Order: sequence, then structure tokens, then C-alpha cells
Amino acid sequence: MINASTLVDLENATQSRRVFWDPEVHKRELDAIFGRCWLFLTHESLIPNSGDFVTGIMGTDKVIIARQKDGTVKAFLNSCTHRGNQICHADSGNAKAFVCNYHGWAYGTDGTLVNVPLESLCYKNNIDKSKLASPQVRVESYGGFLFGCHDPHAPDLKEYLGEFAWYLDSIWSEASGGMELLGPPSKSILSCNWKVPTENFIGDAYHVGWTHAAALKIVGGELAGMAGNQADMPYDDLGLQFTTRHGHGFGIIDNAAAAIHTDRTAYDKFFEETKGGVRLRLGAERERLYTGHWDSSIFPNCSFLYGTNIFKVWHPRGPGEIEVWTWTLVHKNMDIALKRQIQREALRTFGTAGTLESDDGENMSTCTHSNDGWATRKGRINSSMGINHEGPHPVYPGIVGSSFIGETSYRGFYRFWAEIMDAPDWAAIRKNDANWDKIWTNRTFWQNRAAAE
Amino acid sequence: MSKEQPRVTQELLHAITQHYYTEARMIQDRQYREWLDQMVARDIHYWMPIFETRLVRDKRPEPTPDDAAYYNDNYDDLKGRVERLYTGMVWMEDPPSRIRFMITNVEAFHTARSDEFETYANIFVVRNRRQMETYEHSLGREDVLRLTDGKFQVTKRKLIVDARVVQDKNLYFFI
Repeated sequence: MINASTLVDLENATQSRRVFWDPEVHKRELDAIFGRCWLFLTHESLIPNSGDFVTGIMGTDKVIIARQKDGTVKAFLNSCTHRGNQICHADSGNAKAFVCNYHGWAYGTDGTLVNVPLESLCYKNNIDKSKLASPQVRVESYGGFLFGCHDPHAPDLKEYLGEFAWYLDSIWSEASGGMELLGPPSKSILSCNWKVPTENFIGDAYHVGWTHAAALKIVGGELAGMAGNQADMPYDDLGLQFTTRHGHGFGIIDNAAAAIHTDRTAYDKFFEETKGGVRLRLGAERERLYTGHWDSSIFPNCSFLYGTNIFKVWHPRGPGEIEVWTWTLVHKNMDIALKRQIQREALRTFGTAGTLESDDGENMSTCTHSNDGWATRKGRINSSMGINHEGPHPVYPGIVGSSFIGETSYRGFYRFWAEIMDAPDWAAIRKNDANWDKIWTNRTFWQNRAAAE
Repeated sequence: MSKEQPRVTQELLHAITQHYYTEARMIQDRQYREWLDQMVARDIHYWMPIFETRLVRDKRPEPTPDDAAYYNDNYDDLKGRVERLYTGMVWMEDPPSRIRFMITNVEAFHTARSDEFETYANIFVVRNRRQMETYEHSLGREDVLRLTDGKFQVTKRKLIVDARVVQDKNLYFFI
């Protein structure tokens, strides 16, 4: 049995190197995390009409996600209840039914078994179709982003997002105009553990200046100063980093939403025209979030860059491999020309052939596999940047770190990772709700900083 | 559809295939600036769309340049990608990987313009990097080649990646 609390040292902000490659750790992750958490499925805008469907992945399970006649969305396992054959092999489409290729069992778009060939002749009507529906997945939407969950005892999606929903409201809610995804997703295989890109997106602005030095030099603009870490930048005044109850977190660079875009005229204009409304409806703190650039992950394996407009899911394929799915994230109320322009730019930077994406793959891969060496694996890896320069904030919920270049959200991610790995069920997790953030012992960091100013 | 246009002469086809071999060799030798300057027209549309896996009965149209794509580049976009490789800061390509292109099934047709030809080719790409990493890609390629002052330049290039799930760290290569 894995004891995750020994794998994550919260006080010294280190993790055992086993977290990335150990098959035993991964086996427990499939039960404790992928079996119990809300996992991203798709966006409502990608299946607008009755019968529209996409196929998706939840951990190691294939699922079908379909719009129903009544407008709701259902998801169910993409596996025939007869012999387990995969029911649907298309990425997306519109269907009245899904017919298994093997013996022709037919399922409705809600997963119920509607037809069995030769039912009377060969089954002698001795088959109860109502008991042979494909197992359902819980489906809930937050701002149009659809998530699925296998655990009936998990909190609802809003509670699972927790304080992070307050942050998401500044970009995903109706009050902020809302966001949607443009597909189809690109898909690629990367030989790395799913947590490496997740932690990278959740709070690794540190690597940007070095890993992406070449691309930043070409892109230019205000981020060019980060290329090669050459500019002496006042990092503590440029942004913040956040972590929340269930490990979701992000870093923000102030006023930099559009920074990575080369053609910014229309995008800047969009922000100028819309930010006043966000301020009016949600307040100045969340206008700050609306106009900032976010690097973010929603626990466990869903990541996005707000501003750079990229949205990714890292599907695990064992401890050492993932399948990466990439969509473009755009504001709903942009005109179609701007959406298309942003899609081109987003995929040019963070698509499979992207100028920045192409810098990351090897780091992800060798972080995973180098740690598997017989001597190497005995050591620990470190995420201590900015420790104690963080704490509860008078305005922002969760724990807030003083710089967007820091590892506050790494620490929050691995704090919850260890908690859910060791927890027998969600009831045990709920018992920590009042005390989850007590590992951040500098409780007056923000008051002291405000007083010093 | 210009496939209804006549095929080019054997002599012209030979010149086109030789041009393609030279182009591949140039990229294999990492002469990206020379490639872009000499072999790519200033009005290039360099396009590698993302194809979904769909049922035969699905009648939705094929991807257009308004849809998601790995590459959807004009000349300046391509130039940015090329110049990135000369910054000396692309750590993933240092030590550099090796890439090899096999170009087959080349067909070339006349078009409505006397100086432009539409071509079709199959391309097999093998990349080797670091110690043991080998990646393979099969692609279809549809070009519009323009003949100016006795030299060919590509003005439209559509690359069709056959794999739905790309099995490589990235698709950052030119061909």
C-alpha cells in the first residue's frame, strides 16, 4: 500500500522521485484520483445539437459524451456491455444510436441498450435490456465546461472547484462574458508522467524564461525581457500565484493576457472594450484576473493558459506516458474573425508544432524517466521556491504567493495529491476542509507586506 | 479540379522531383534560411490541418484554413519559426536531431496559370534524436509550385498527417 504522506514532504517542499515513475503509485492514482475526481470531458459548445457527440477519455476509460433530446448532456462508458467491445470509434459526430461493430448491440445516445439482434430467436427473450445499459458517468457543467466523475460520493463540481470557482468566474462566468473551446483537439503522445505537465502549467513561470528563451526572443514584446532570464525584472510586483482546497491553482502575470500574441490589435481592443463590464459586475480584483495571463491546472489533469488561449488535458497511459489533447480557449463574445485569428496564434505557439510547445517535450519526458535510476530514485525533488512568501490573503481566497515565479501552487497541488491518495473516501477528505491550509504557517504574510508598504 | 488538367512532360516532372530532392536535402542539412529564401514564395500558405476521425456517413466538410491546424502559416510566420532555430537557445535541438525525408509518388499537373503546377506526393519522415528516440511520420503533400526565372518556389503547401494521434514530441519540422 502506498503511503503518499511519505512521498510528499510539505514542510520542506520536496517530493519523492517515485511520484513520477512508480507503477505502484500510478495504480493507486487510478483508484484514488482518476476514480474519484472530476475529469474534463468537453465544452458544451462542441456538442450544441441533439444527438451531437464526442468521444473522450477519463483516466484509462473511454467514454461517449452526447447531447440529449432534452438538451442535457450524458456520458457513459464507450464499451459494449455484451463483450466489452468499443462502441464508437469516431472522434465526434451526430448519432441517433451507437451500434457495436461486434454483434450489433445498439445503444441510445443516453447509453441505454435499445436493440439486441436476434433477441427473440436466440436469446429466447431471456435478456433484460434495462439492466444492460452502458454504465453512466456523472456529468456537470461549470460555465459550459463539462466534467465527468465516476464517484457517486464525490462533491458536486462547484464544491470540487471550491475557491477556484471564484477565480474561474472572472473568466468563465456569464458575468465575464464566458469562454468556449474551439476544436477539434489535436492529439499527441508524450512519454512522461501526467503530473509533470500538470505541475508545469499550474505554477511554473520559472521555466518560461529559460526553456522558452528562443521563442520569447522571436515573439518579442514585454516577455522578451524574460528570454534567458536576462532582464532584471521586479517579479514580486508583476503578478501572483494561487492554490486552493482541492489542489487547483494558477499563476497570473498582470496586464499580460495577450502578451504572447504577435498580432495584438484586435485582441487588445477586445480587452479594452470588455474589462470595464467585468469590473462593474465582479469588482477590480477580478478585473485584474480578467486582464492578466494565467498558467493554470484544475486537479488532476486539465490545464490551460488564459490569454495564450490554449487548453489541454493530459490523459495518463501508465505512469510514464500521456496522450495530450489540445483545444483553443476563446472568449464567447469575440467576433468570429478574432476567434479564428486567436486559434491560429494559439496553435502556432502551443499546438503540437508550436514554437513554445516544441521546447517542453523533452523536459517532461526526462523528468519522468531520469528519476527511475536505481541511485537517482533514492533522492527527492524540490519545489520550495517562494516558501513562506505566501499565505491567506485579505481579498483572494485560498493561499496566495507573492510572485508569479514561485512554487506556491506546486506545493498546493502535491498537498492535495498526498491527501486524496491516502484518503479512504471523500468523507475523510471533507473532514480536512477547515484545516487544509494550515501547512502555510506564515499566516500574516500579506498583512505584514501591506503594513510595510 | 486541376487533376483534370494535363500532366506535365516527363522532362518537367524530372525537374520537379529533382527540385524536391534538393529541397529535402537542404532541410536535412539544416539550411533553413536558404530553404525559405530560395524555395518558398513570399505569398506562401503553408498548411497542415488537423483531421478528425469521423464516420463515413458524416458529411461535414473537410477542414479549411479557418479551422484548427498544426501549421497555418504565411511567410512571416514561417520566418519566425525558422529564425527561432538560429537563436542558439533551442535546447531540445542541441545536440541536434537528424531527420530524413523519403519523397515518392510525385505527380505534377498543369494549372490555369502557365507558370504554376499542382503536385501530389507521399512523404515519409524519420527523425532520430538523442540516443534511442526514433519517430516516423507518413504524410501526403499537395503543392502549388511556381516557376520563376527557371527556379521553382512553393506558393501553396498542404500537408496531410496520416496519424490522428501524433507519436512524437512535436511536429516542428519543415518539408
